[in-house]
Amino acid sequence: MNEENMMNEPVEKRYMPEVSRKEIDELKTTMKAASQKVMAENIERMKKADPKRPEAMKYFDEISNLFGKRQEEIAAEKAKGKKVIGYMCLFAPTELILAADAIPVRVNSGWYDTSKLGDRVVPVEVCPVIRSTIGAKMIELSPFMEQSDALISVLTCDGMTKLGEILSDYKTIWGMNVPRIKDSTQSLRFWNDEIKQMKNQIETFTGNKITRNKLKEAIELSHRATKAFRRLQELRKGSPVIMGRDAMLVNQTFLWDDKLRWTQKTEALCDELEKRAQRKDWVCSPDTPRVMITGTPMFWPDNWKLPTLVEESNPQGIIVADEQCSGERILNDPVGVDEWSMDDMLNAIGERYLMASTCPCFTSKDGNEDRINWLLNKVKDWKVQGVVYYVVRGCMLYAMEYTRVKKALDKINVPVYYLDTEYTREDVGQMKTRVEAFLEMLTARVDM
Amino acid sequence: MDWGIVGDILRLTALGGLGVAGVIAVLIWKKNRSTRVTFLRFVIQATALAAIFYVLSYTVSPASGGLPPIMFLYVMVAVFAMTIVLGRVFCGWLCPFGFIMDLESQIRRAAKIRYRIVPDKFNVALHKSRYVILLVFLLLPVVLWFSDPRPIMVSPLMAQLLAGHYRPYSVLLDPLIPFIVPWKGQVIVDQVNLTYPYALSIITYAGTNIGQILAIAFVGTTLAGAFAVRRVWCRFCPTGASLAVVNRFKGFKWAPILHISKDEEKCTKCGVCKRVCPVQVNEVYEQKSGKIITSQCMVCARCVEMCPYEDVLMVKLGSKTLFKSRNWLEPSRNE
Amino acid sequence: MITVGMDLGTQRVKAVVLKDGAVASRGQALSSFDPTKAAEQAVEEALKAAGLKLSDVSYFAATGSAMDMAPYANGTVSMMGADAKAGVYLFPKARTIVDVGAEEARAVKCNEKGIMVDFVVNERCAAGAGAFIEAMARALEVKLEDLGQLALKAERASPINASCVIFGESDVVSLIHRQESKPEIARAVFDAMADRISSMVHRLGVNPDVVLVGGVAKDVGFIDSLNRKLGLTVSIPQYPDYAGALGAALTAASRAKGAQK
Repeated sequence: MNEENMMNEPVEKRYMPEVSRKEIDELKTTMKAASQKVMAENIERMKKADPKRPEAMKYFDEISNLFGKRQEEIAAEKAKGKKVIGYMCLFAPTELILAADAIPVRVNSGWYDTSKLGDRVVPVEVCPVIRSTIGAKMIELSPFMEQSDALISVLTCDGMTKLGEILSDYKTIWGMNVPRIKDSTQSLRFWNDEIKQMKNQIETFTGNKITRNKLKEAIELSHRATKAFRRLQELRKGSPVIMGRDAMLVNQTFLWDDKLRWTQKTEALCDELEKRAQRKDWVCSPDTPRVMITGTPMFWPDNWKLPTLVEESNPQGIIVADEQCSGERILNDPVGVDEWSMDDMLNAIGERYLMASTCPCFTSKDGNEDRINWLLNKVKDWKVQGVVYYVVRGCMLYAMEYTRVKKALDKINVPVYYLDTEYTREDVGQMKTRVEAFLEMLTARVDM
Repeated sequence: MDWGIVGDILRLTALGGLGVAGVIAVLIWKKNRSTRVTFLRFVIQATALAAIFYVLSYTVSPASGGLPPIMFLYVMVAVFAMTIVLGRVFCGWLCPFGFIMDLESQIRRAAKIRYRIVPDKFNVALHKSRYVILLVFLLLPVVLWFSDPRPIMVSPLMAQLLAGHYRPYSVLLDPLIPFIVPWKGQVIVDQVNLTYPYALSIITYAGTNIGQILAIAFVGTTLAGAFAVRRVWCRFCPTGASLAVVNRFKGFKWAPILHISKDEEKCTKCGVCKRVCPVQVNEVYEQKSGKIITSQCMVCARCVEMCPYEDVLMVKLGSKTLFKSRNWLEPSRNE
Repeated sequence: MITVGMDLGTQRVKAVVLKDGAVASRGQALSSFDPTKAAEQAVEEALKAAGLKLSDVSYFAATGSAMDMAPYANGTVSMMGADAKAGVYLFPKARTIVDVGAEEARAVKCNEKGIMVDFVVNERCAAGAGAFIEAMARALEVKLEDLGQLALKAERASPINASCVIFGESDVVSLIHRQESKPEIARAVFDAMADRISSMVHRLGVNPDVVLVGGVAKDVGFIDSLNRKLGLTVSIPQYPDYAGALGAALTAASRAKGAQK
């Protein structure tokens, strides 16, 4: 396919049904309105949960509005000729995008309503994250998806693999092939080649050469972001100074926000929180059961039901850590550059994205032991008392790894609860019963 | 009272003091955690180089009668004993030849030229081949003597063994003869400065004519090789092999006391440790946890320094942790 | 000290009056559309039977899916927590309590103090709960109470799909069309359900002392199937459907005691 063809939409849609402009507009208007309401409500509830919410959270509340400020900023940048490169999986090397003066945004959808539209394309058994993203594209709901000039589709889970293919009905898709066996030399070699290929692709597409200095700058920027990010996670190790939902929102806004500004704002937030920690000004009683969430990514805005339940339940819980690609995994690992040569930087990027990842799509001669180890480590360091293993229906990889995680956690006597749900609001009642029972159990264990 | 010795001791003490000052300076001013140990290592290597150079070229220079052969034996025993306790610290932190190769790497680095990677299998093969090289260097004089018997100087057998044509200590301690000041080296044969490890041995064994050509070729290849591949000579250095072999014996499982240790649970297997290792030690990545057992490791601690996760890699002396990976992206402060 | 536990279930509200650690009386009412009112009725009935007044009660605890709507409640306890309490109270050796209610099935693992340490709830589907039996009885045109006795008469079971009530029902209909005997179909229904419950119990790790509570524990057909699937004899209390309310009453008692101290 030559470049000119790549830029245009395919004439014939291979997957997507024809939807009339009128229907698109109608659905978009109603769903956008509904989503804005949900976002406002979520933030309202977060404010209520912590009456002395940090000042610095104001910025994140504002930037979390998917239809707000950030979208306008990106539009302005685009008007100046900048390219926007979307990605659906954390394996996309954002440093390369930044080094080419393009804007990286993650475009996975967290809208419940659009998953029903996705049902027109794929069966309900398919992971709702995928269905919802398809639905969002169908009615052009996601501003960031619409603004993307190209999408990086990384072949991790089955859903992601086909999602890129389906979205190729609308967008230029660059596939990145992740080797599923992590700990072999040939895998890394292959993946490093993919990274180099991606670099060329981004350079050609944006017309900007990724020079050594630019890439160095981009890596240093992401180092600084990682620093701020880790500092925030570090603060959550102690008695609670921030509600889990607030921290999760901060983490997630990184996916679409301006990286430098996000870093500065997060640093400011951490300063504020550190002062609170010194004053021993906790957001809730330090005895509150400490919960970690792992499993399927939880995308803003609709997917806030589990964290909300945990932190508003009676007895209350506090989310101190998560192991998800919508949270902790976004920025936890730095690009470990040894020598600042182009070659080493690219290798370091390759390693950071492939080797350091604890995505369940991997396996190795010990199985996906990295993830288990990392979970155990997190449980110890963050003094986690209970783990909620969150899985949406159709999320095979996480669901299948549960048994192993449970066995590992049983060994260190940390309870884990498997909570399966859907992209729907109707099961909140049932979830509440379970979450409350789980937290009651944690409280009882503390008292024991 | 021999005032010369007092002067030597004073000068070496002053040098040691400079070294310590350098270490303290690095600890105080070098804030970047991902290069701090490297800087420390450079300071110590430089001090060691200066000390060795001073001792070899002034105190015991050929002009002053040289080092009594038996002293070489003592030095050898001392280095070996150190290896049992500290592992190949000699290679990583003291060896002047290693320092030269590290400097070459720095030059390459400054020139933004990439280094080459030796394929893992080949690297391990090289590692194993050093025992063969060691054996060759030790057997060569014997073989050569048989093919061209020279009169044996019968004067004390010990001296013959240690200082004659058959010079095992020279094979084992050659990296101590650094290639540092071309115009004032310790060993100059026919105007060719051969203050370079193994060059002298080659000349001694192969005869001066061929030997000089061989030696110069050897010098050229190792220097060029070290520019492209980090610490290239260390991968088959007979000294390294002889040092490493100490820890191969069953009774020495506890050795070296100083070693790198790993905590699997905190490791994400990101692979940084493997990539930054100047001699491409795989074990630090592949071994799951505990003491990293390999004779390739020189305890340079580059992996520990670069590991971005807290407490995963540690330099341990026995069970005491001296230095551990510290999350070089420590929580940011508002600068 | 008198405490009352209320279990506001999806079909019925049950109440238990506990007097100094022993059950004094029980009461129940249909949930209908107003669980609050139903709970008031159940409590009134129970108190009347024990000859007590509302003001005699020192602590009310509520559990069940509608516990937030409970009247009088001083506190709530989760259904799993209540099951664990009741199970250990009734059978001190019990460590696994299986509660099969009208629309939900749960398995709870607990310690010797009756504190739950782990639990599993059936996946959002009624196929593992009482409603499934109800639907199947309807399909077989048998009274719900008779289905169990019918199943005991069967010699073998015909396999049916128990992943979903609706599919299960159509399966039963096709078995009827194939002219399989009613007892066999009835047993198939219970077997399918017991399969789901036993896999839940297995996920928690089986131990020999399993207690079965909840409304479905009154069904002999189901008990028979579950015993066979688990390979052991489950213990069943005299009033299995009051276990939740009893657990709540026990929790109420311990909380009231804690408050006195």
